[in-house]
Amino acid sequence: MTTETVVRPRPATEDGPAPERRRGSGLPALGFLAPFLVLYLAFIIGPTLYGLVMSFFDTSLVKPGLSGFAGFGNYTEALQSSDFWSSLWHTVWFTILTTPPLILLAFVFALLADRARQGRWFFRLAFFAPFILPSAVVALIWIFIYTPGLGLIETGLVKIGITSPNWLGDPNWAMPSLAFTTIWWTLGFNFVLYLAGLQEIPRDLYEASAMDGASPWQQIRKITIPMLGRTTTLVAVLQVIASLKVFDQMYIMTQGGPNFATRSILEYVYDEAFTNFRVGYAAAVSMLFFLVVLMVSAVWFALVRRQEKEV
Amino acid sequence: MTDLAQRAEFRVKLFNRICFGVLIAFALLWLVPLAWALDTALKPNAETTRTTWAIADPTLDAFGRVLRDTDILTWLGSSLFIATLSAAGTVLVASLAAYALSRMRFRYRNVVFWIVLAGIMIPGQVLIVPWFREFDALGLLNTYWAVSLPQIPTAIAVFIFKQFFDGLPRELEEVARVDGAGYLRIYRRIIMPLARPAVAAVAIFTFVTSWNDLLWPLLVLSNPDNMTVPVGLATVQGSFGIRYADTMAGAILGAIPLVAVFLMFQRHIVEGIAGSGLKG
Amino acid sequence: MTLTRRALLRGTAAATVGLAGLGAAGCSGLAPGRSATGSLDYWNLFGGGDGIRMTQMLDGFRAANPGIALSAVTLSWGNPYYTKLALATLGDKPPDVAVAHLTRMKTLVSSDLLEELRPADLARHGITADKFTARAWQAGLVDGRAYAIPIDTHPFVMFYNTDICGKAGLLDSSGALTPLDTPEKFTDAMRRAKEASGGYGGVVSINNDTSTPWRIFQSLYSQLGGETLADEGRQVVIDDAKATQVLTFLQSLTSGGLFPAGIDYQGAVATFANGQAGFYFEGEWEISTFQTAKMPFSMTLFPNLYGGSKYAVQADSHTLVIPRQPDQNQDQIDRSLLLIRSMLDQSKTWAEGGHVPTWLPFRDSPEYQAMTPQSNYAAAADGAVYDPDGWYSGSGSNFEIVTGSAIATVLAGQQSPADALAQMRRQLRNLSTTASPI
Repeated sequence: MTTETVVRPRPATEDGPAPERRRGSGLPALGFLAPFLVLYLAFIIGPTLYGLVMSFFDTSLVKPGLSGFAGFGNYTEALQSSDFWSSLWHTVWFTILTTPPLILLAFVFALLADRARQGRWFFRLAFFAPFILPSAVVALIWIFIYTPGLGLIETGLVKIGITSPNWLGDPNWAMPSLAFTTIWWTLGFNFVLYLAGLQEIPRDLYEASAMDGASPWQQIRKITIPMLGRTTTLVAVLQVIASLKVFDQMYIMTQGGPNFATRSILEYVYDEAFTNFRVGYAAAVSMLFFLVVLMVSAVWFALVRRQEKEV
Repeated sequence: MTDLAQRAEFRVKLFNRICFGVLIAFALLWLVPLAWALDTALKPNAETTRTTWAIADPTLDAFGRVLRDTDILTWLGSSLFIATLSAAGTVLVASLAAYALSRMRFRYRNVVFWIVLAGIMIPGQVLIVPWFREFDALGLLNTYWAVSLPQIPTAIAVFIFKQFFDGLPRELEEVARVDGAGYLRIYRRIIMPLARPAVAAVAIFTFVTSWNDLLWPLLVLSNPDNMTVPVGLATVQGSFGIRYADTMAGAILGAIPLVAVFLMFQRHIVEGIAGSGLKG
Repeated sequence: MTLTRRALLRGTAAATVGLAGLGAAGCSGLAPGRSATGSLDYWNLFGGGDGIRMTQMLDGFRAANPGIALSAVTLSWGNPYYTKLALATLGDKPPDVAVAHLTRMKTLVSSDLLEELRPADLARHGITADKFTARAWQAGLVDGRAYAIPIDTHPFVMFYNTDICGKAGLLDSSGALTPLDTPEKFTDAMRRAKEASGGYGGVVSINNDTSTPWRIFQSLYSQLGGETLADEGRQVVIDDAKATQVLTFLQSLTSGGLFPAGIDYQGAVATFANGQAGFYFEGEWEISTFQTAKMPFSMTLFPNLYGGSKYAVQADSHTLVIPRQPDQNQDQIDRSLLLIRSMLDQSKTWAEGGHVPTWLPFRDSPEYQAMTPQSNYAAAADGAVYDPDGWYSGSGSNFEIVTGSAIATVLAGQQSPADALAQMRRQLRNLSTTASPI
C-alpha cells in the first residue's frame, strides 16, 4: 500500500524552519502516553511488584490482607518441594517433546509447500486452521479421539493388530499424548513463519547452485538452512517460551494427572493458589517461574544480538 | 535439450511431484481431527460408540441440544464483547502511546521506552495471583472488565505501532504542523489512516488472543452466565458425560466464530505473523 | 477494502459497547451482582447415572414450583468443582445452592464461604435435626452450627454375583451371602469364588484411581480403630502396626491371584459385569451400571473383618449448602431451602441410585425397606467413617491422592507395605506441616 506524499512549498517564517528546535513536547506526550501508562502501571507493573511482595508472606486466598510474614520461607519451601521440581520437570519434558517436532515438521512442510506452485492456500488452511482454535475446542476434540474403547486412534491401531495404551490415563503416555495434540494445534504458526522466510530467499541463489550441479538436498543444506537461521532462532525461542507457559491442555485433558504426571508449573501455581488457597506460596513459585522465562529470553537476546553482528 | 538435461529435468519434476504428494497427505492428515469432530457431531449420540466415518442417521440434533441446554450463546456473546473491547482498547491505547514515543521529544522518553520494553518480558501467567487479589479488592471479579483491562496495555502492540510510525515519512506531519494542526489532529487525520496495516494486525491478533485466553478468564469468570466460550466449554464438560455427539457439537460451535474470523482475515493474519517474524 | 474492514471492526466495537451499555442493567457481566429474583442457580458434580437421577429430581422440583426459574450446572468432580465454587463465592457470584461432600464442606466453612443454616429458617421448611441420620447430621456441624443438609451417605460396599456365589456355596438358604466376618473366611470365600467364576475371586479398582484404594484401606483400617490425621490435619497419627496389617492383607489378595493386580476403574466394572469375578468392591453408586447390564447380583455391607461389635466402613455424604453471597436476603434463602426440601422429599429417586438416604422419613419407610439391594447396607450409614478433618482433606482431595496412590502401589504389588507407609507418611507430613491457609 503506497502512501502519496504531497509536498507543498513551505512558507518561510521568522521562527526558522527546523521543527527539532521546538521545546520538548512534555504535556502532549503525557496526554498520549497516559491511557497506556495508567493501565500498564495498574495492571502489569503494579501486580508484578505486588506479586513479589506477596511471595514473602503467607497470604491466603480466603483471608484478607497479607497475613504473616514468611521471609524467604515460601521460596525455600518451593525449592525443596518435590511437587515444584516435578512440575518444572514435566514442563521441561513437555518442551522437549514438542519443540523439535514443531520446528522440524514445520520446516519440512514449509519446504514442501514452497515448492508447490498451486494450492498453497489449501496447505495454509489445513495447517494453520487448528492454530486459531481455542484450547478448549482442541482439548474436547482430542479427549474424544483419545477415549479408550472408541477413540479414533485406538480403533485404527486395533485394526492393524496393535493394542493401544490408555492415551490420557497411562502415566507413561499422558504427556506424549498431550504433546501430540499440541503439535497438531500449533504447527501452523511455525509453518507460516518458515514459509515467509523461505519466500525471502532469492531464487537466483538456487539457480546458481543448480548450475554448479548441486542436488536439491545440497541446496537445502547449504542455502536454505543457513538463510533461515534467524527464523529458526525466532521459532525456537517462541516455541520454548510458549511451552514453558503451558496450562490449558493439562487442565482440560488430564487435570494434571494421572497422579500429577502431567502437571505443568503453571498448573502447580493454579493448584496451590486457587485449590489450596496458598496465594503467598503460589506467588513465590510464580516468581521462580518468571526467572526461568527471563533466562530463556536472555539467551534469545544474546543469540539475536550475535546473529545481527554476523550479518 | 540434451539427454542429460532431460533426465535431470525429469528427476526434478518427479521430486516435486513426490513432495507435493507427501504434503497433500500430511495436509489431509492434519484435517482429520476437525473432520472427525464434525462427523461425530452429525451423528445421534447412540451411534458415536461405533467408531466409523459412515453416518447411518445424520442429524443436527446435537447442535440443537447444545444450543438449548448449555449457555453457549451467552458465552459467544461474552467472548465477542470482551475480545472486541480488548482489540479496540489495545489499538487505541497502544497507538497513542506509540505515537508519543515515535514523534515527540520529552525528558523521560528513554525511561518510558525501557519501562515499556520491560513489559514484554512479563508473561501474564505470572500475574494471575496478584491480579486475582487486585480485582477482588476492586470488586471487579466476575466482570468483563477484569478480563479485558489486563489485556489492553500490551507492550508488544506499542512496539508494533512504534516501528510502523518510525517508518512513516515526516513531511506530511511537518506540513500539517506548519498549518497549525496539533498532535491530536495529526494523529487522527494523518497518522492513523496510514497505519491501517498495523491496526489490522494488532486488532486481529488481540481479538484472537483474547478470545482464546483460558487461564485468567477461568479464574475470574466463575459463573456460567458470563463465561467466555473457552471457559464455558472447559468448565461444563462434565455435564456432557458420554454424549459425544453433543460434546463435538459444542466444540464446533465454539470454533465457528474464530474460523470465520480466520477465513475473513487470512491475509492479514498471515502477513502479520510473517512481518513480525522477519523483523525479529 | 481494508478501510471497510477497519471500519467494520471499529463499528462492531462501538455497536457492542453501545448495546452493552444499553443492556448494562440486565447484563450480568459488567458489574457483579445477583440473578433476577424468582430464579435459582444450582451447581452439582453429578455425572453418569447420578446425573440422570439428579436431573429427574430437579425436574420434579420444577414441576412443583413453576414460578421459580431453576438453572442447574454440572461441573467436573473433584478439585476443579471445589476450586470453582470457592472462586465464584470469592467473586460474589456463587450459585444459590450447591452440592458439597461433607468432608469438603468443613474447609468451605472455615474459609467463611458458606451461609449458616439457621434453625428458624430450617424449621420453616420442616427441616429439623431429628429427621436425619444422627451420624451424618452430627458430622456436618461446625461449632454446633449447621451449614449443610446431608441428602445421602454413600458408603463403600460389597457387590457379589449371585450365580457365582451360589455355585461356590457361599449363599445361605435364603439366598443371601453368609457373613464373611474374619479375614480367613474372606480369603476362603474369594478362593471359592475364583474357582466358580473361572476368573477372579474379587476385583477392586487400582490403576489411575486414588479414591478406591484409599476407601478399601480406610474401611479395614478403621475397623481396627486406626486413625490417620489429628488436630485438624496438623498431625499425622498413622498406627504403623495396624496399617501394615491391613496393607499386608490387601497385598495378599492380589499377589495370591485372587484379585487382578493391574486394573483401572472401568476395567474393574467390566470384569464384574461380565461375570469374570465373584465380588466387586466400590461405592454403592455403581448399582445402576449392573442393573443396566442385567446381570445377577446383589449388594451388602462391606465385610466386617476386624471390627467385631464396632462396625466401621469408609463413607462420605453429599450435602446441599448455601454459599455466602453479598446482600443475601430472606426470599433467596427461602427459595434455596425450598429446593433443598424438595431434594429430600425425592429421596426415593436418589436412593434408586444406590445411596443410603439420610432423610429419616424416607429411610424408615416401608418403601425403602422394600428396595433391594439398597436396603441391605443401610446400616453402613451408622458405621460411616468420614475422612479426617483437615484443610487438605476430603473426597477427591490431596489427602486422598497421597494416601490412595501409596495404597495402590501395594495393591499392584509395586511396593512393600513398609515402603508405601513411609511414602505416605512423608507426603502427609509435607501437607500437615504446611501452615493452613484458612
